[in-house]
Amino acid sequence: MSRLLSSLRDGKGFDIVLVAVPLAFLLVFSGLPLIYNVVMSFQAVDMFSLGTFNRPWVGFKNYVDVFSLPATWPIMRNTVIFVVCSIAGQFVIGFALALFFARGFPGSSYIRGLFLASWVMPGLVVGAMWNWILAGDFGVLNYALRSLGIISENIFWASNPAWSLWAVIVANIWLGISFNMILLSVGLAAIPRDLYEAAALDGANGLQKFWTITLPMMRSTIGAVISLGLIFTLQQFDLFASITSGGPANSSNVAQYWAWEMSFRQYDFAKGATISVVMIAVVMIASVIYVRSTRHEVRG
Amino acid sequence: MKTIKSLMGSGTLAVSLFALTSMASAQHIVVWSLDKEHQPAYNLAREFHDLDNGITVEYREVHFEDVVSESMRAFATGQAPDIIAIDNPEHALFAARGAFLDITDMVAASDVIDPDNYFPGPLNSVSWEGKLYGLPKATNTIALYYNKDMFAAKGLDPESPPATWEELVEAARTLNDPENNVYGIAFSARASEEGTFQFLPWAQMAGGGYENLNAPGVVEALDIWKLFIDERLASPDTLTRGQWTSTGTFNAGNAAMAISGPWELNRMVEEAQFDWGVALLPVPGEDAERSSAMGDFNWAIFSTSKNPEAAFKALEYFASQDHRLFPEWGQLPARSDVELPETGEPLKDAALKVFLEQLQYAQARGPHPEWPRISKAIQDAIQSALTGQATTQAALDQAASTIQGILGN
Repeated sequence: MSRLLSSLRDGKGFDIVLVAVPLAFLLVFSGLPLIYNVVMSFQAVDMFSLGTFNRPWVGFKNYVDVFSLPATWPIMRNTVIFVVCSIAGQFVIGFALALFFARGFPGSSYIRGLFLASWVMPGLVVGAMWNWILAGDFGVLNYALRSLGIISENIFWASNPAWSLWAVIVANIWLGISFNMILLSVGLAAIPRDLYEAAALDGANGLQKFWTITLPMMRSTIGAVISLGLIFTLQQFDLFASITSGGPANSSNVAQYWAWEMSFRQYDFAKGATISVVMIAVVMIASVIYVRSTRHEVRG
Repeated sequence: MKTIKSLMGSGTLAVSLFALTSMASAQHIVVWSLDKEHQPAYNLAREFHDLDNGITVEYREVHFEDVVSESMRAFATGQAPDIIAIDNPEHALFAARGAFLDITDMVAASDVIDPDNYFPGPLNSVSWEGKLYGLPKATNTIALYYNKDMFAAKGLDPESPPATWEELVEAARTLNDPENNVYGIAFSARASEEGTFQFLPWAQMAGGGYENLNAPGVVEALDIWKLFIDERLASPDTLTRGQWTSTGTFNAGNAAMAISGPWELNRMVEEAQFDWGVALLPVPGEDAERSSAMGDFNWAIFSTSKNPEAAFKALEYFASQDHRLFPEWGQLPARSDVELPETGEPLKDAALKVFLEQLQYAQARGPHPEWPRISKAIQDAIQSALTGQATTQAALDQAASTIQGILGN
């Protein structure tokens, strides 16, 4: 007994407790819902069977149904465009800003802090704000572009199928820049100064320093930022709800919003779950690629 | 992932129990509604609780977005309330599956409730296969608002608003004034229930409906909507804007006409700096049948209720107070036998007369247990036609075949 207690305090038992608590937490709050979701995607679900596991099994019928819908492929394509462009935009601009503020001019750390304003704002507020900016008839963006002579006629960002997805992407990039910038700033600060000094002595120019020191040293930070970006973009919902509602004609609909529409607008819970499972599979593949690509990395 | 998260989350429910110390012998009923403290259901439930008739009431406010999913989950897990206020197109979803109590006999025996007093549209929405599964809580419909000052300025007669589709298009063309940021007309073709709500009356007036969505008249109706968008007589944002926002542009003087409902009246009286009026929805031709949309919520008793008599007494009380709906809370009772008192605001009183007339032509959406899916097909047709992804005929053919599949024909 006392051996067990002492092991719990300082020994193998302690390690096991440390692992078991988060594992149990994960299992209850992520594992079970995940399994429940996967189970639902193989069943026929309606309002009367919502509360029970005992539902008729339909095999892959939900998957076949979802993938035979005419809206499916355009929505999947939108999701890919949304994710790739959002992450690219957030990352490139965020990295540029991080490098800029890393120069350490007077007031740089304060201004960098102010950038976080966009990240702390609730998604719905950001959505409402961009809704006004992007409004077709009286939006600020159209006014600015017209005044600058770039456009001669208002662009209906949210209502024109050619622009609607881009309207949400722009808002999402704005939302994510500061988060990317802060994480990347931390990574930049961790690079030892003497590396740059040595490179300077060797006569390296700015671009060479960036390419041979900054980027390789930032590799793990960049990996983390991009995977977090993938998660945040795939769960981006508020902006769609407040700017375009996925419209017009599904031109700005993405998988996560579509899953919600299926479940809570058409009450087709099985199809909603099916779309979520497909999304989980895609994220799994992405994370496996990420883990493999960073496995052989040498950490300083 | 989202699905599960929302299912696990407790939702946005606010509970208020009027009496925490209920007597053991007392009957206890639970009422769910979206009404807040300044709205009818909350107050009527509290008054009923205070009646000292041995029935205690627990009132729970359910957010509009969550009403159906919350009640589905509650019903599935055996925790449904006794009484629920539900949006009328979703009534059949529950009634057809036996989740709501058949109150036909209770109503027949009631001294307070007479089905004949209700407008046909709202009454239809609580019916399923000839039985009554609830009572209309309130009602509304849509009609044509128009800016009389703009009519006069453009040489149109402010006292004879457009009565037919042709006149409506002509008026919209005349009134359209891009130089001054004025669109001819504002309405909502949004990909949500609002779009269906606004479009169905047009289809019904033209001899169509959700069961025959590709009838020639319906194609003509959608062609007119497309013309409004293509000729920029309405803002392209019509595709993504709800009715409230669209009518906001009318109030601001940026649209000369607007199609919307009586829920706009208070705001319009406050905001609109011009003379305005309301007309019945224009019809396709002189002798065409009238129609309009029918909105608002219904009362229903869940079939799982342990105190159905007490719950029905509560509904009787609510119905007995229908004459207060308008003067106290600004909502229209779904009954033709309730007189609306004058408000003293001439524009509003004139508008209400039109809405009351329009209400007689208001038709329920459905009723059909698969309404959300039927409605989605209609929204898809509207959106793909208006964005030019399909011709109006092709879009409506597609929707009609989807709907036939849902109807099982």
